[in-house]
Amino acid sequence: MKRLGLLLLVPVSLVIGLWAGPVTFTPLELWDGLIHPYADAADIVRELRVPRVLLAFLVGGSLSIVGASLQALLRNPLADPYLLGLSGGAGLGAVLAIALNPDWPWAVPAAAFAGATGAVALVYRLSVVAGRRLDPRVLLLAGVVVGSFAGAIMTTVVSLSEAAELRRAFLWLLGGFGASSWRAVWVFSAYAALPLVLLFLSARSLDLLSLGEESAKHLGADVERNKRLVYIATSLLTAASVAVCGIVGFVGLVVPHAIRRLGTPMHRELLPAAFLAGGAFLVLADALARTVVRPLELPVGAVTAIVGVPLFALLLRRNYT
Amino acid sequence: MRRFGLVVLALALAAGCRTEPPARTGVRIVDDAGDTVTAALPVHRVVSLNPAVTELLFAIGAGGAVVGRTAWCDYPAAAAAVPSLGDGINPNLEAIVARKPDLVLLYTSGQNTDAVRRLAQLGIPALRFRTDSLSDVPRVAGVLGRLTGRQSGADSLSRAFAADLAGATTPPAPYRPTVFLLVWDQPPMTVGRGSFLTELLERAGTENLFADVASSSAPVSIEAVAARNPDVILALGAEPPAFLSRPEWQVVPAVRERRLVREEGSEFSRPSPRAPAAIRELRAALHEALQ
Repeated sequence: MKRLGLLLLVPVSLVIGLWAGPVTFTPLELWDGLIHPYADAADIVRELRVPRVLLAFLVGGSLSIVGASLQALLRNPLADPYLLGLSGGAGLGAVLAIALNPDWPWAVPAAAFAGATGAVALVYRLSVVAGRRLDPRVLLLAGVVVGSFAGAIMTTVVSLSEAAELRRAFLWLLGGFGASSWRAVWVFSAYAALPLVLLFLSARSLDLLSLGEESAKHLGADVERNKRLVYIATSLLTAASVAVCGIVGFVGLVVPHAIRRLGTPMHRELLPAAFLAGGAFLVLADALARTVVRPLELPVGAVTAIVGVPLFALLLRRNYT
Repeated sequence: MRRFGLVVLALALAAGCRTEPPARTGVRIVDDAGDTVTAALPVHRVVSLNPAVTELLFAIGAGGAVVGRTAWCDYPAAAAAVPSLGDGINPNLEAIVARKPDLVLLYTSGQNTDAVRRLAQLGIPALRFRTDSLSDVPRVAGVLGRLTGRQSGADSLSRAFAADLAGATTPPAPYRPTVFLLVWDQPPMTVGRGSFLTELLERAGTENLFADVASSSAPVSIEAVAARNPDVILALGAEPPAFLSRPEWQVVPAVRERRLVREEGSEFSRPSPRAPAAIRELRAALHEALQ
């Protein structure tokens, strides 16, 4: 029943995502725009809305899988995709690109990606230096420390640059799918495929890891290898999603918990369910973000939390009564 | 303390001894934030933390009285010789006091309320002026003329400005093309009704594509731009906007066909005596882009 609900949620969210926007189409116009390349609505539907909805779905799904995996890896329910210093690194990269303003249309996403992977490398190095093995507690600490460090440099850069630039940098970081294109969809899918498959394949070792490392070892898992694999795959996915749409909070933290509450504790089911639910959730949040105050747009990261927190509170209540 | 005594003396003089006016009298002035401030006129040392005001002070011949400015006061060139005191919003009080001003002029921003209050405690009168539209140019010039004793300079500036503005906006354009004002690309941001740029565009015989948006700085979606289909895109900045080559922007016909105008310079970002020239420049550039 719940599975059926989830499977239905995906097409419903995609249709709503396609239909919602600053321009209102009738269902017929929308359909025409979708299938006929020369229909009136074709430009907007085919070149803007379809890539935007697909990208939101892919990113939402990826973030929520990353959240689920990190929560198991770190055995910490508060883990989210940005916990391990990624948001700080990405923010620093983006702000530097905005401040330097190079003459290249992809400079900001590329710099955000570079910043995020830089932070990941630093965190990884720190946590491996501290001991031979990857200790989740050290990883957590290193992540928070590197994140604060990058955040402090970012604040310094921002406070030394123009006031208008500051606002723009923060708007970019708050996230949005305004710059979606087919090219972004292809690049993200090609890139995200490998880490996504790796995470799906790690489902069993995540089950074991969430029991604790000792138990996992006794049950025959190659704990060290799995931990590194999960950490690198999640980091690469998050870095790519930051490059695509900035920092979209809440999805990666709460969607996995919501799915667990619905009674899917094993990662083999949890991960695909989290992917579908996260994708659908972000598509709907983005649809809201671009319609509530049209023709203006809200940052999607704000919408995910405003809509998601009450939803999650309802879910918590329902399970306790 | 000395300054405080001076203000009290000036107040007393203004209240009672009208028969024997001293060289400097305390005058009550109401600023655009609604504050009433008493200052001894004319003032000789002015810190201007509003680029539009700095420009007007120089334009009415009171540039010599300016002893502090913001980092953005880039016009006229002579303003560069005045020490910069930062970016003007929520200013550094120590830097202001060090310039020993007898008047501080700020922009009417809520963020400046605290600075005005603390300057008053230090005995330094501070006034806030709204400088958002073309009509503020002669209005504020008049007040500044009174404050600095340059009434005649302010009057002749206002007359010249009115004539220049009338000349720049005639003849009226045969039709009003729509212009999408792009101030930033990631996310796309434009300006709405009530901003100075919207007024400039209207005076130049065009219409802001998002004149229905109340906020003066607003993120919009590419889809909304595409649906409204602007005749021209006006980008502000030193370099051509690189992102216009990105695939998602090609949905907008004006981007595809490169109907693009680029302008830079502070005459486009704040009301000033240079506004009529900016309008002429805009008219010519837009006309060329629409050929």
